[in-house]
Formats: sequence, C-alpha cells, structure tokens
Amino acid sequence: MKDCYLGVDIGSISTKGVIIDDENNIIASSYIWTEGNPVNAVKKLLEILKGKLDKNYQIKGIGTTGSARKLIGLMLKANIVKNEITAHAIGTLTFYPNIRTILEIGGQDSKIILIKNKIITNYAMNTLCAAGTGSFLSSQAKRLGINVEEFGDYALKSKNPVKIAARCTVFAESDLVHKAQVGYPKEDIIAGLCKSVVLNYLNNVGKGKKITPPIIFQGGVSKNKGVVKYFKKILKENIIVDENSHLMGAIGIAVLARKNKNGNTYSLEMKNLKFQTKAFECNRCSNNCELLKIYRNNELVDSWGSKCGKY
Amino acid sequence: MRKIGIPRSLFYYYYGNLWQDFFDALKIDYIVSPITNKEIMEKGMKIAGSEMCLSLKNYLGHIDYLKDKCEYILVPRISNFKNDNQTCTNFWAIYDIVNNLFETKILNYNIDIKKHQTLKKGLFKIGKILNKSHFEIKKAYHYAIIKEKKRLKKNHQINQNKLKSKKTKILITGHPYNLYDELIGKEIIKYLNNNQVEIIYSDKFDPKITNKLSKKISKDLYFKYSKDNLGAIVYSQDKIDGIIFISAFPCGPDSLANELAMRKIDKPYLNIVIDDSTSFAGIETRLESFLDMLGGKLND
Repeated sequence: MKDCYLGVDIGSISTKGVIIDDENNIIASSYIWTEGNPVNAVKKLLEILKGKLDKNYQIKGIGTTGSARKLIGLMLKANIVKNEITAHAIGTLTFYPNIRTILEIGGQDSKIILIKNKIITNYAMNTLCAAGTGSFLSSQAKRLGINVEEFGDYALKSKNPVKIAARCTVFAESDLVHKAQVGYPKEDIIAGLCKSVVLNYLNNVGKGKKITPPIIFQGGVSKNKGVVKYFKKILKENIIVDENSHLMGAIGIAVLARKNKNGNTYSLEMKNLKFQTKAFECNRCSNNCELLKIYRNNELVDSWGSKCGKY
Repeated sequence: MRKIGIPRSLFYYYYGNLWQDFFDALKIDYIVSPITNKEIMEKGMKIAGSEMCLSLKNYLGHIDYLKDKCEYILVPRISNFKNDNQTCTNFWAIYDIVNNLFETKILNYNIDIKKHQTLKKGLFKIGKILNKSHFEIKKAYHYAIIKEKKRLKKNHQINQNKLKSKKTKILITGHPYNLYDELIGKEIIKYLNNNQVEIIYSDKFDPKITNKLSKKISKDLYFKYSKDNLGAIVYSQDKIDGIIFISAFPCGPDSLANELAMRKIDKPYLNIVIDDSTSFAGIETRLESFLDMLGGKLND
C-alpha cells in the first residue's frame, strides 16, 4: 500500500479536491460547483475522487481550505484546516519555487501575494465586497445568457472592448444593461467586463504593490482567457497560468496535510454520513447571538457564533 | 434617575476616565451606558441616518439607552486642537445631532482651541451648571487632570515595555472607540490575544510625541486623531512585526490615513474595515493568514 493525501478547497462557487502522493504528484483531482451547499458538494466530490483513485493507495492525511474550511474540516475530521492564502502560497511554491508574484481571483475573494527568496513578504486581499471577482463574472454571464466557461472565447473575439465601471457590481450591472440596450455587440461587452475585472483588481487589491515577474495567475477566473489577455496587456509582462491553476489551493492544503500527518488512515466513504447543522438564536442576553450547532452522525461536534463562550 | 449619563462610545474612550474622576471629586452621581450589545447597536442604526459611520450609529444607540435614565447626557463638541489638528466633522456635529433627535437635556462644552475654548474652560462651565462653587470645581479639575496625566504616562510606559517583548508584535492602529468596542474591534483583539500576539495599541502612546512624528509620513494631514495614529506607526515601526489598521465603514479621515500608511510604510500591513456585517469568517481568514505570514509559517 502506498500513502496519499487529500486536499479539499471549498470555495463559494466551486469545490476542488486533489489527491497527491509523497512526491507531490497529483494522482486524482476534481472540480465541481458548490451550488450553495458545501456539504453535498464535498460528498459528491469524494465519490468522484474515490472512482479515480487506484486501490493501492491509502489516505494518510486530509486538509481543508476555502471559505467553508471549518465546516468541512469537522465533517472530514481533517488533520489540518488552513486559510486559502497560506494554501495557495504553499501550493504554488511547490511547483514554481522562483515565483515572485501570485495573482489570485476566486469566487468571492481576490488576493495578491508577493514573494521574495521563497519568503512571503506581503499580501493583500479584497475588502469584504465581492466586486470584480468570480461571482461577479458568473452573475453577469447569466444576465447575458451565456455560460461563464465560454466567457474567455467571446472576449478574445472582441476588438473594441466597451468601458464598464467595475468598482461596484451594482454600477457595473446598470452600465452593462445600458451598453447592451444601446446596441453594442456581446463580445465587446464581455471583453469590457474582463478588462474591468483586471483594472478593478489592480486598483483595489494591487494598489501600492510592486508587481515583479515571474507572475503567476490562479483561481477560477484564471481559466478565463479574456482576463489573462488583459492582465498581460496592462502589466506588459508575461503571465503564467498553470493547467492546474484552479487547483493550487487544494494542492497546497494537501501538501500541508502531508507535512502534518499523524499516522491516522482516512476513508473516502462519506455517502452515508449524516452531517447536519442547526441554527438558532440564543436569547439569554441582549446580544442575541446567532448560533450554529453542528452534528456528525447525530453527535454534537461543535457550535459556533457565541460571543460569551457559553456554547 | 441619575444626574448625568455618559455614553460608552466615541469621546468616552478619550475622556471617560477623566470625566469620571471629575464627577467623583464633585460628588455627582453618573451612569455610564453598558458595554455595547446588539440591542444598543440596532437601536442606533434605526435612529441614525444612512450616511453616518458605524461608530456614530453606535453612539446614538448609547444615547438612546441613557435618555430616560438621567437628567443630563454629556455630549461635548470637540472641534480642533489648534491649526492642522482638526477632528472629524462628525465630532463637530454630534451635539446638534443629539439635540435634534432626543428630548433629554444635554450637558455640553466645546473644545475649540482656535477660539481659546479649552478642556479646562469646558469642565468649569459644566461644574457651574451643576451648581458647584468655583473652589470645588477647581479642586475636582486638578484632581482629575493629575490622574489623567499619570494614566497617560503609565500607558506610554506599558507600550514601550511591550515593544521589547519577544512575542510577535503587532501594532493595532485605529480610533479607540472602534478598537475597544465590543461589537466593532473587540473580536479582532480577542482573536489576536488567543494567538499569543503582543498587541500594541496606537492610542496608548503619548500623543504629544506621536502627533509630531506623523510629519514623516505626510506634512499636509490635518486630522488630529489620524496624525496620532500615523505618528504611532512611525514611532514603533522598527520594533514591530506588522500593522493592523482597524476602521469603521465609511470613515473619511481613516480612508486617507490608511492609504498613506499602506503606501509609505514598508511593513506587513493589514487593513480591516468593519461594518455591521455579523459574520466574522471573512475577517478571520485575513487575520489567520496575516499571522501565518508574520510567523513565517507560510515559508516551511
């Protein structure tokens, strides 16, 4: 039996899973939509990974990252739960030890990580507003009646991208509707959107940061060729997009799971697991905390949200 | 029914101790509103206009709590500390806002050094309204001001000792009424404390020292509290590992100070803007990764 390690990155839009071996080779991976239900998405993900995994491997570590990392960490009894910045940096440095700048645009987050001599020197993340991220693009795609996957191809066709205000999703949307009604072709509008995502990113997240090559671009949005094109054009630098760029967070957390292994063996069998959450409001004091109780096979494993620590 | 109500918000975090010493010495009973809870905050949001900042909304919630529990509510108007040391326009307006929104009588004094309206004159005015003799007020004022000076010195000393600590040192910059408020900044402080961080608070430095130092970042800044904050960064930057700037949405002076610090100071830097969003998850991600970076945990 050979050892392997599972990394799961549960983002707001997509859920990513990667299984690596002791030499950090990817032996199985999967990418599915979260669809607002991280627990079901992870169950589905594990089923897919189970089908892809060789019978000779046993799982010796599980790590979770992404915005649902704590919840899924409890569900999978993960041996490490880490934030996505750490995971992304470690994943990228595993394959590209010389990288200087990591640009990342995900579903609701966007971040920039600056690296010097393999040491993280600074990073920035968007404020809590999700303008100019993946969820913004996918909601605009829906509005234009096309799949977000085709977005890049449409954008490449355009020669004259329209100007769209991307500072705020609400403004962008009214801009977009206006441009469409006036009669601009779809590909110009889409190219405009891609360009505005880049400008918004550089003005908000990248402000004041010195972007030094080699630069790598990752996160779900890096699959969008239009956005990559405008990053290249505006930064006037080559942008590396790895074929696994959307999986970097999951790879990073799998590497961390390997480093933190504790000898336990894990199973991917989760189909019959009963994993429930119950929300209620505590009325013991005027804070009225919203509490969330988490049950794993009807057993209370954790509860969150209390300010006083009673629960 | 108490004589005076002191809202535990905004000015309380600058003058609260001094006021309490002053009223204690005058033997006047007062009530301080409780630590902010959800009820107070929600009430404040209901009363406040939509353009007001989170801290001001919170303040109005505290005033609402006090309105039938005391005869007077203490609402000063802090306008400026000489040229180039103005305060936020909300601080100028607050007396009028409260006066328009509530029926309770207001105990007011102005600090407007340009027009020679000092803290001393203000407290004497209040003492007279409360029917105390000149001698009593003078005694109480000196008692309060000496204690305040001692506190300032002690706090500055504590901060300097913290700068020598061997733990990861983070300078927390921001207005004290945000940093220490239970529903605004407290959760961040708690998180950092649980992670063995040595927290150095920017407002605990002596403003006489920090205010001038801000010139190294910008000579044109004219907000007193922004200058104090930036000066604290300059003062401590060689001895700390990182800076976290906490501000409430949508603070005007802070948006300026934050940009200046971010661009001019070469230190790991994190800006957190707080609104009435109840989820701590997004903030936790930022704090956790910031600590990972400072601790070198990212680099194994």
